[in-house]
Amino acid sequence: MKKVGTEARTGEWAARWADFKYTIFLMRKNPLVMLGSIIAIFFIALSLLATFIVDPNLATPRGYGGSYPFERSYVWSEGHIINWGPGIALYDGPEFFYLGTDRWGRDLLAMIILAIPVDMENAVIIVVGASIFGTLLGALAGYIGGVLDEAILRITDIFLAFPALVLALVFAAMLGRSIPTLRLALLLVWWPPYVRLMRGQILSEKGKTYVEALRALGAGHLRVLFRHIIPNSIYPILVQATLDFGGVILTFSALMFLGFSPTPSLPELGNLAAVGYGHMFDAPWLIIFPGLTMLLIALAFNLVGDGLRDVLDPRLRR
Amino acid sequence: MRLYEYVIRRLILMIFVLFGVSIIVFYLARGFPAAFDPVAPYVTPKMTAEQIAEVRRFHGFDQPLYLQYFFWLRNVLNGDWGLAGIYAQGQPVYKVFFNSFPYTVELAVTAVILTVTIGLPLGIISAVKNNKIPDHISRIIALTGYATPSYWFGFMLQLVFFYYFSLWGLPNLPSSGASGMARVVPRVTGMPVLDGLIGGNLAYTLDALSHLILPAFSLAFISLGFLARIVRASMLEVLRQDYIILARSKGLKERVVIYRHALKNALIPAVTLTGLFFAYLLGGALITEFVFTWPGVGQLSLQAVMQGDSNFLLLYTLILAAIIVAANLVVDVAYVFLDPRIKY
Repeated sequence: MKKVGTEARTGEWAARWADFKYTIFLMRKNPLVMLGSIIAIFFIALSLLATFIVDPNLATPRGYGGSYPFERSYVWSEGHIINWGPGIALYDGPEFFYLGTDRWGRDLLAMIILAIPVDMENAVIIVVGASIFGTLLGALAGYIGGVLDEAILRITDIFLAFPALVLALVFAAMLGRSIPTLRLALLLVWWPPYVRLMRGQILSEKGKTYVEALRALGAGHLRVLFRHIIPNSIYPILVQATLDFGGVILTFSALMFLGFSPTPSLPELGNLAAVGYGHMFDAPWLIIFPGLTMLLIALAFNLVGDGLRDVLDPRLRR
Repeated sequence: MRLYEYVIRRLILMIFVLFGVSIIVFYLARGFPAAFDPVAPYVTPKMTAEQIAEVRRFHGFDQPLYLQYFFWLRNVLNGDWGLAGIYAQGQPVYKVFFNSFPYTVELAVTAVILTVTIGLPLGIISAVKNNKIPDHISRIIALTGYATPSYWFGFMLQLVFFYYFSLWGLPNLPSSGASGMARVVPRVTGMPVLDGLIGGNLAYTLDALSHLILPAFSLAFISLGFLARIVRASMLEVLRQDYIILARSKGLKERVVIYRHALKNALIPAVTLTGLFFAYLLGGALITEFVFTWPGVGQLSLQAVMQGDSNFLLLYTLILAAIIVAANLVVDVAYVFLDPRIKY
């Protein structure tokens, strides 16, 4: 006997695949999305290759202690730093720094390259974690409904009413300064919007005829929910996650900037800027370039997310 | 459901949310005495260990957490929010909060005004010139706005308008604080600009205004993009509707169609966004206040976190949560008046 379910399923996934290809086609027509994708892919590649391009050992401050442990011949002139700016080789130093050096004499460009994977990795973990958690909770709330729905919504309300940054700060201050703590703190404040989003999607999807048909065919609740309803309503979540990516990088680095870095010399974009904050006006490049990198990454993902939203908007499609 | 029933239901939910917030913050802050020791404001360096233990016992800080929560709740309902940490000289926290709150309000109001005056026209232009050059420009401004790290942008403003302008001998804007002069006018509202106006001191007012420009613009730049995008989206939606086609076919000028007919309906989502944005700003834009050393509540909350002041954090998060929930309610109710089609 031929299985009935298989045929239907291949048909459904084939339709999804065609839909996906059409989405890619629409996105390729939009110049801003193309630009965003190229920058995003560049940064993803850079973060994967960073440790091959730059020796990670460079991140350990060299020299002796104190505020400016440069080699003496490099930067000291009558007791103060004379010039450590972008592209300026001082005296007969063997190295040439395109973006200047920081207070430990580390090449800023190398530090930024090393910092990108740190930020990207954390942003991926936080966004993926928050969206999966929020989506599952929202799906349960929407699909089961009743008391569970009400309870989940009220808890979400409580978390939405929090000033997110303050909650993350309190959490990080409590558990100490480490990257896992910061991840947890940001996860804690980032999941609630996904619950609302997914719940809304599920509610509109649940009443459709195909769900009824699947149930009539004998498909279990879990199967209907996870194989059919969630895949059919995943696009808005994807858009939200892409748009959130930039926001998470900015917030993560803001926490670092405010002083939650585990070590002051950790190459992380916000932390690099925090080190530069001590030299605001005598070494502005220390903030300018890490900030610019952050802006570019966030901008790239926002461009992709914004384009995705337009492309996936059913009213603007076909 | 009638409107007033809906409002009452939401108010009851609000109390529930506030309880939830207070319980979470209380357990987070008091559950980890290593980071947030509640006894700290009562301790002076000269006290012995026994004396500190005595103080701890006296205030009930050695009791189980749930009992401590009820003690705290009882005190709060009696109007006693506890003392703030050393950074605020151990004053009562509500006093510390409300001394700084006017500064935050001043900054928030200015930032919202700037956001609306720039973001709204930007949104309208990009909807009218949809997918043409002006739309792309506004899209880039908007997306850059919310991809910008706020501390970085604040710093860039300081660098250019304060540091380089003063290097070049140009008139420059101050980079920190809310006012550069001694307070020569009586304190009425607590907001330097308003106080200057009320006291009739023009120099003081202008000085306060000049301090306000950079932080307010730095906040507005980040949010005006959101507003412009929302206005554009809802404008496009409205422009597709039949009544707009009718208005056009009546021979009305494009200007009239857009400003008289379309804009009014397209503004509704913008009102929501602006209201919520204002509510969030009232919590103090932590990072911007930090960068510009603005003496508002955002900076205070940062100090409270760094110095482990649970009393201030409890007051702060509760007030903030109340503001955010109330703003949500106000926005939802405002919908009914803005759009007669919506009913609860």
